Amino acid sequence: MEFGWAPEQEQYRERVKAALDELLPADWDETYVPESYASDLQVHFSREFCAKLAERGLLVPHWPREYGGNESPDWEHFILGEEMKGAGEPRGPQYMNVNWIGPTLMAYGSEAQKDQHVKGIASGKVIWCQGFSEPNAGTDLAALRTRAERDGDHYVVNGSKIWTSYARTADWCFLLARTGPTRKDISILLVPMDTPGISITSFPGVIKDGHLNEVFFTDVRVPVQNRVGEEGEAWKIVTYALSYERVGVPRYHTGLLALELAVEQLKAEGRWDDDPIVRSRAGSIAARFEGARLLTYRVIDQRVHRLPATTDANLSRIASLEAVSDLMNFLGEFVPDCLAGGDPLLEDYYRINIPAGITGGTNEIQLDLVAQRGLGLPRG
Amino acid sequence: MDFQLSEDQEALVSALQSILQDHAELPQAERFSYSYFNADLQRLLGESGFLGAARDIGPLEAALVTIETARLPVLVETAATGLVAPMLLPADGPVDGPVALIAGGAIGKAHRNLPIARTALVDLGEDVAVLTIDPADVEPVASILAYPYGRFRAIPDLAAARRLPGAGARLRQWWRVALAAEVAGAAQAALDFTLDYVKQRQVFGRPVGSFQSVQHRLVQCHAHAQSTYYLALRAAWSGEAVDADCAASLAQQGVQKLLFDLHQFHGGMGVTTEHLLHFWLYRIRALQAEAGGVHGIGLEIAGRMWPAATQATGADAAPQIAEAG
Ligand SMILES: Cc1cc2nc3c(=O)[nH]c(=O)nc-3n(C[C@H](O)[C@H](O)[C@H](O)COP(=O)(O)OP(=O)(O)OC[C@H]3O[C@@H](n4cnc5c(N)ncnc54)[C@H](O)[C@@H]3O)c2cc1C
Repeated sequence: MEFGWAPEQEQYRERVKAALDELLPADWDETYVPESYASDLQVHFSREFCAKLAERGLLVPHWPREYGGNESPDWEHFILGEEMKGAGEPRGPQYMNVNWIGPTLMAYGSEAQKDQHVKGIASGKVIWCQGFSEPNAGTDLAALRTRAERDGDHYVVNGSKIWTSYARTADWCFLLARTGPTRKDISILLVPMDTPGISITSFPGVIKDGHLNEVFFTDVRVPVQNRVGEEGEAWKIVTYALSYERVGVPRYHTGLLALELAVEQLKAEGRWDDDPIVRSRAGSIAARFEGARLLTYRVIDQRVHRLPATTDANLSRIASLEAVSDLMNFLGEFVPDCLAGGDPLLEDYYRINIPAGITGGTNEIQLDLVAQRGLGLPRG
Repeated sequence: MDFQLSEDQEALVSALQSILQDHAELPQAERFSYSYFNADLQRLLGESGFLGAARDIGPLEAALVTIETARLPVLVETAATGLVAPMLLPADGPVDGPVALIAGGAIGKAHRNLPIARTALVDLGEDVAVLTIDPADVEPVASILAYPYGRFRAIPDLAAARRLPGAGARLRQWWRVALAAEVAGAAQAALDFTLDYVKQRQVFGRPVGSFQSVQHRLVQCHAHAQSTYYLALRAAWSGEAVDADCAASLAQQGVQKLLFDLHQFHGGMGVTTEHLLHFWLYRIRALQAEAGGVHGIGLEIAGRMWPAATQATGADAAPQIAEAG
């Protein structure tokens, strides 16, 4: 057992940081980050940025060589993710592409789909959105109602999706639609977002722009060859896809960076040295993030050792979320101006994290999974 | 980075577990005790080398020993004896144990493990005093905190004691690692005990553990115990003060939740001494305020991570106390 980075892992982190220094514009922190990673500005920027990352072998290094990757070790992929998130996620929505959409298509896509989409993703120029949630189907995704009815060599899609991040700027949608009567009769369609019959309404919210979209499908014709896998196979495929996203965002990393910004501000305003309560609270929160960090690293380590997946990934999310909630409360109490004209980077941190317990699987479901599958408690 | 125990570490833990299994039983006469120190097991652990792990192998292995022994309802003292003392006194050879750890500012109060101790390490802020303890000088103090507690019949003469100049910070660092390891083991054991209970105890025709509100809170306790476990081991591995602070801070931050929830889910049974729960819970409670407590350790973390120009690291947490005696 040991807890240090190997020299090559440290070098890799430096390489990623150097690429970020080189590729991000000088006004990145001032202009781009405050807009947040789902904003149109950042999504457009990501096309440029990811293409350059791809040239440097830093977009899909963990992928198999046949798809343009370098089969890089799990830790390197993870370090890359930490640094990208820490920098404000200049990959925009493309982190989804490289983390799970690409790998899912490699596993389940047809040859034509792999040829088009896996290559497209590896080029860093294509934006995807994820069309899962609906107004009446979020946590209980199997309740979704968007229908895809067969009409010759096309499906005709009708219904609506909601909370579809990046929908306004996306080229493609990874869509879940009902193709039969039972709860499990759901299929995956790859839908070009410029297909006639798709319309998008965005609405404002307390989080940053770019996430809150409703996408309406009215008689949208999608070729049958755009289906991934067989009809009714969506569950199996989505379960596979989500296994790639199990640990989620490295929230301890972004959290500690935000905490540091808050401390700098408190120091500059003379509210640090003389206030032991503020300092001890900040120190306690740092400890919580460190705990969450180790629970997350444990999951990567299990992957490195090729151990079977457990609910430890869910546990790491739960621990991270508790620390995030502590930090948001700390900001609200001691750095309240971050939500009223203060540091825009802190505002961005705060607002991105408002739904931290909801996105990527709501916290209560994470808790259920650990309780029942991890601790063996009986279902209610 | 490698979170798996090495073969040698696995072997150490399983050898230890097999000894512990044979001695973990509470004697009939101790069934209703608040704490039970097993002197025979303590001796056996010393003789079979488990208290020498820090010196012979390393602090990570000593922390593993502490975690394992903390899972038992019976008490043995491995944290201060097997981890803190050897890290503080590397040149001394085996210290006469058990060892008690004492905050110098509270020397007149009752101390954990003092009635069983042969040596005490006293945190004087900057320095450490090493005391040889004569059991005749210690008056036992009754406590529900699940360690033997006792106070000095007469305040010892610290000026005459052996002194380790400048060793205070190092003492607190390893004290923090040790307490985190002890909380990790005890919390895990208390949680396992509770899981067994809520799986079999039926209410309204279903197990207590099938209710979502119970499940979710148990998972949060589990997350706490697991984080504490890895933080303690990382701190033992790295020897970095800030890692020790984080481990102890997290261990202590979770105490409120662990004590409340785990008591809660045992209903009335959990407040009787014939149910084993209190052995673990009141060890955890006892460790809550040690080596700085959440507030003091939080200040230390802040001082190390974001030092202020005017603030000496740890100044708040460890005031230099006036020379006693
Ligand atoms: C910023 C943001 C971005 C998003 N991006 C996307 C996207 O790009 N694509 C996409 O498809 N979706 C996206 N989502 C949707 C997200 O996946 C859903 O919000 C989430 O699955 C929860 O669904 P819901 O909002 O319908 O809440 P509901 O399912 O109505 O649940 C509400 C709350 O009820 C509680 N609850 C639900 N079920 C249980 C249970 N079994 N036990 C106990 N409590 C329960 C939980 O507290 C839950 O948070 C996004 C959401 C947000 C906020």
